[in-house]
Amino acid sequence: MRKVAVVGIGHGKFGVRSDASLRELAFEAVKACLDDAGIPLKEVDSMVTGIAGDEFSIALQPSAQVHDYIGFHPKPNFRVEGACATGSMALRTGWMNVASGLADFVLVVGVEKMTEVPTSMATDIMGRGGDATWEYPFGMTFPGYYAMIANAHMAEFGTTEEQLAGVAVKNHYYGSLNPYAHMQKPITLDKALTSFTVAHPLKLFDCSLITDGAAALLLASEEKAKAVSKKPVWVAGLGLATDTMRIGDRKSLTSILSAREAAKTAYKMAGVGPSDIHVATVHDCFTIAEIVAYEDLGFCEKGEGGKLIQAKETYVGGKIPVNVDGGLKSKGHPLGATGVSMAVEITKQLRGEAGERQVKNAEMGLSHNVGGTGQVVAVHIFRRE
Amino acid sequence: MDFKNFSLAISQTKVARFAEDLAAGKIMSTICKKCRKPYYPPQADCPECMSSDMEWKALKGEGALVTFTKIHVPPEHFAVRQPLMPFSSIQFEPCPIGLLEVEGGLRIMGWIPKVDLKKIKIGMKMKALPQTLPDGKVTIVLEPI
Repeated sequence: MRKVAVVGIGHGKFGVRSDASLRELAFEAVKACLDDAGIPLKEVDSMVTGIAGDEFSIALQPSAQVHDYIGFHPKPNFRVEGACATGSMALRTGWMNVASGLADFVLVVGVEKMTEVPTSMATDIMGRGGDATWEYPFGMTFPGYYAMIANAHMAEFGTTEEQLAGVAVKNHYYGSLNPYAHMQKPITLDKALTSFTVAHPLKLFDCSLITDGAAALLLASEEKAKAVSKKPVWVAGLGLATDTMRIGDRKSLTSILSAREAAKTAYKMAGVGPSDIHVATVHDCFTIAEIVAYEDLGFCEKGEGGKLIQAKETYVGGKIPVNVDGGLKSKGHPLGATGVSMAVEITKQLRGEAGERQVKNAEMGLSHNVGGTGQVVAVHIFRRE
Repeated sequence: MDFKNFSLAISQTKVARFAEDLAAGKIMSTICKKCRKPYYPPQADCPECMSSDMEWKALKGEGALVTFTKIHVPPEHFAVRQPLMPFSSIQFEPCPIGLLEVEGGLRIMGWIPKVDLKKIKIGMKMKALPQTLPDGKVTIVLEPI
């Protein structure tokens, strides 16, 4: 297999983008990515597009809208889907294209236009990301699933609502420093704790946002990367794992076992462990998900995730800075774009271009992207050399 | 009976009789005749041994609550046509839902209409019961025992 590097990154403004359609959002990220790489589109061999929902796009092959609009035809475009992990699966697919020798330059685009449908419909569509036949009839929503995980975690480990809110406070603080974030204002612990309940015990500020947005990466082979990039960031490890469709069939309700499995694979491939990671982006679709991610990735012991945030160890300057771009919580969570956006942030950090949010001398970064409640999870490790 | 009376979404499945059985007062599982692995929700096929020779068995449905929640922001189906939200009041006080672990380690999802949220505790003993709603739909409730 050939080595693969990220040589270009592009990120559009995340938010309620009522000014732009799916394809127009994708264009913003693609243009920024090609500008960053200094590579014209005509040199790109192949493209992978991550879009999670036809129901959000209100189209059957929305990825064709994207390749058409950026003028990529007649070259190959391959669409991937894995709910909230779609973007990371697009990166993995792009990596496979380059590593196999099929392509030298691959454009990876993640995009989602979520606000064209009303919020209640968006909640409905995402609720059917659980088992649409056996769980949806009980009114299950995504907050509902993670609320069940939160209640189990609280009962088993004594995790508190204050600790959950602590994740929101951190991520909103960093979101306020990220010009691409959906919400750019800090919040107080009190504000998070007194917001209305979405699904007990999760409150409004425990939940990520319904967001429009796009992000893009340009991947290159080792030879091309060294020729065109001063600061290539290498994809050092990839892990992908799956778990049961239904939450009721999970062996653990306080851990996402597919995340543990994906992390194990990625760490092994990169030849590193949790203590070697300098900065991470994790899937904080809900505050409890970030706490569970700390544990699943080995940043702390099982059950200690709440204490890790309480001790502020996941801030810049702490033991392991996590989601210092605002995370899904504050930056927003446009499903297909999220995994790609995570890789954009890690690349920035490893290049030393994260400004106020920079983790000093970050050389090794990790992204953790959960599809649904863990039906599919992708973990990637990135390295500067 | 149309399986959609339970699933709200699909009618066509090899285990469609599940809805009919709920209406008749039974929560049914399937068991693989070859390897004896039990399935709830019922499955027509056994991935354990790749057999499709299954038998039906009613569950006693008693066990301990594994986890629960109460969803205040419901999906559109339940929000728009509010009276269809089972056990909800006009003022829209949603009904808690939980996961009950019963015989064979099987887990049944169900509404918890009769217990106040504050009194719901993980580990509490409950029983899963079929319920036919006023609109003819069938579902499952969890009640303390």
